[in-house]
Amino acid sequence: MPPTKQAPTRQAITLKGSTNLVTEFFKYAANTILFQRGVYPADDFHMVKKYGQTVLVTQDLALENYLEKILKQVNKWLLTGSVTQLVLAIISKDSRVTMERWVFDVNLVKQPTESAEPAPIKPETEIQAEIRNILKQIVSTVTFLPVIDEPTVFNILAYTSESADVPADEWVDTDPLAIEASKSQQVKLRSFSTDVHRIEAMVAYRYEG
Amino acid sequence: MSYAPKTPARHQRSRSEAKTPLTPSLITGLNSFSLATPAKSRGDTTNPFISSSKHMSSSRPVGRPVSSGRPKSCSRPSSPAKRPSSGGINVTHTLQRQASAGVIRKGGIESRMDVVTRDYVPPPKPEVRRSKSQPSRDTRDRFITTRDTTEDLTAKLDFLTLNPQGASPGHTARLAAATGVSLNSRVLSYHEPPPSASSDLLSEQRELVRPLYARPGSLPTSTSSSSNKSRKISSQPERVLDAPGILDDFYLNLLSWSSLNVLAVALEGSTYMWKAESGDVVHLGDAPEGSYVSSVDFSNDGQFLGVGIGSGEVELWDLETQTKLRTMTGHSTQVACLSWNKHILSSGCGDGSIWHHDVRLARHKVGELTGHQGEVCGLKWREDGELLASGGNDNVVNVWDGRIGDVAPGTRGTARWTKRNHTAAVKAIAWCPWQPSLLASGGGTNDATVHIWNTTTGARLHSLVTPSQITSLQWSPHKKEFLTTHGYPTNAVMIHAYPSLERVAEIRDAHDSRVLWSAIGPGGDVVVTGAGDENLKFWRVWDVPKERKSKAKEFKEGGRGSTKSGILAIR
Repeated sequence: MPPTKQAPTRQAITLKGSTNLVTEFFKYAANTILFQRGVYPADDFHMVKKYGQTVLVTQDLALENYLEKILKQVNKWLLTGSVTQLVLAIISKDSRVTMERWVFDVNLVKQPTESAEPAPIKPETEIQAEIRNILKQIVSTVTFLPVIDEPTVFNILAYTSESADVPADEWVDTDPLAIEASKSQQVKLRSFSTDVHRIEAMVAYRYEG
Repeated sequence: MSYAPKTPARHQRSRSEAKTPLTPSLITGLNSFSLATPAKSRGDTTNPFISSSKHMSSSRPVGRPVSSGRPKSCSRPSSPAKRPSSGGINVTHTLQRQASAGVIRKGGIESRMDVVTRDYVPPPKPEVRRSKSQPSRDTRDRFITTRDTTEDLTAKLDFLTLNPQGASPGHTARLAAATGVSLNSRVLSYHEPPPSASSDLLSEQRELVRPLYARPGSLPTSTSSSSNKSRKISSQPERVLDAPGILDDFYLNLLSWSSLNVLAVALEGSTYMWKAESGDVVHLGDAPEGSYVSSVDFSNDGQFLGVGIGSGEVELWDLETQTKLRTMTGHSTQVACLSWNKHILSSGCGDGSIWHHDVRLARHKVGELTGHQGEVCGLKWREDGELLASGGNDNVVNVWDGRIGDVAPGTRGTARWTKRNHTAAVKAIAWCPWQPSLLASGGGTNDATVHIWNTTTGARLHSLVTPSQITSLQWSPHKKEFLTTHGYPTNAVMIHAYPSLERVAEIRDAHDSRVLWSAIGPGGDVVVTGAGDENLKFWRVWDVPKERKSKAKEFKEGGRGSTKSGILAIR
């Protein structure tokens, strides 16, 4: 098949599809993290089937709407390639100290040179399997992540390029809520990629001593 | 030096807080880097940031064309660009070391550095840059310690700020390439904070209130449990009427449902009738100026309505003509409860006295009963007119002989029974329709107990402890059950079986505030409850049994059908 003719149309479709996939992944990953780390009471979550397994999604309407708004904007940024990283920071409610940072890198998959045949399309099932693995891994992190007893809140940070189109009244610049290097431990988690995007996950947590 | 020192703004914009000295995007870029070992291990000389003073003084960025003279150039003059040997990798390495976020400290060079313990020193202004001997940091921010410019840390920190204007383009480009982070990167977060963890506020409130109203057997978290094994009672009202202005007062009795299927409601000063058949609302009348309606009660035949006023009058209204027939004065304070016995209207007063009014006579007062030290809040004649039960704010339940007028004037009747078992105000009083000697009484907040008495013998037959204050009682004419309405803290409507006292149903939070009044419809199937939340809710709790359907059919149908139709507001 003539690669030049078909490749562009295929890419156009997959960009949007890929961003939707990625945004959806963020939504479920965020929900899973919020549930696992106890940021919101466990009763608020109910199970849905997604990616071939049950994931927990919040029933709290306020939280759902909040995430929806954020992810809508992230979706837009993904389409234009403006966002490079998404961070879900879990901070203690009282002391505003960052306890954990869940970092998701967004990279664009390098397009192969047009000389060879276009890269084989990644089947949906494979992508789903990769996402499933990440979510399972997030759940498993509870084994080594330090126990958080105090009430926490979360913040979602988006690292965008300067040129990104940012709705000024909705998004503000803030500090990255970083954990000091001396107290931070990092664990790199699995990643997944579609034909267009590559998402890498990592968790950095505060570890004293 | 002429510039006032100020923390340099990165990326040409002011940031509200510049806690981290490093470009966040840079840091995250570093984060995403796997830790690479330096290509060469030359010790400190690897570090491109360590510059000899020679280098420093030799390369001053004063003349940089890009710099617009703003005192914010923040890169070191001695950029590695000038170095022959340093390449991207070294930059990466040192940058990693300096990244203050999320970098694992390995052994080696970087473990010697503890970034956090150092203060952030903004990069020097170009004008300030002199040779090492000069106190180049004088004009800095006050909290910045003066530091040697050749000091490792600051040098590195300075270097890390990606100011394209200050640094040489090549250098920053290489930096950016090395870290994989685009030059112009922003960290954004959504302007609103996330919603707080929603807790079940109501149950939390209940938990807090619990110690005050601790009751044995009260369930902490049950929401409306409505189904019995045999039958289901809907936990949703069949209909809700709006009752704006209704007084949220425990002691008043502002609801009455007549045998002709008309509901009377007193909204502060006005009395309204709601015709269940048609759904019409009729404004009956108003209390005299400055006063309020404290109780309403329909006569047995439903033709007349007695209205007790807060100032102590008792009015008699005719429903056919919707006119006030007479005003019976004499009471000293509010008439909080009324009860009819054929032509006798008994009124309970705030001073504890109960008067009998013969509405046919001009001299209406035909009897007085004093048996209460506190306000009389519950008053009910038995169906056959033999006995009158009264409950007061003094926690006393009195059962009086119903004969009036036979007693010689001057003699005060004494109660046949005086029961002091309750430990709170007794507002809820109801006679059992199928067993005439049974009287149920319920106590207020402190008490929350239903006592069932045999008024023939005076014995207390049963006691039932409930979780909250009891505001009214209704017996079911068809089933062997009774309904209680509650206030603090559950605001519930509960149905209990008799004589087992088993809880048949509980509708928690039937209203948003205390359920203060209830009335049972003439069909015996619908109970209306009223509360201070200005709602009247109709609950279909009992079904008219089939055997009696034929008898009650037309009546019930009229009643039932009407409760479903009609407008939804009393105005």
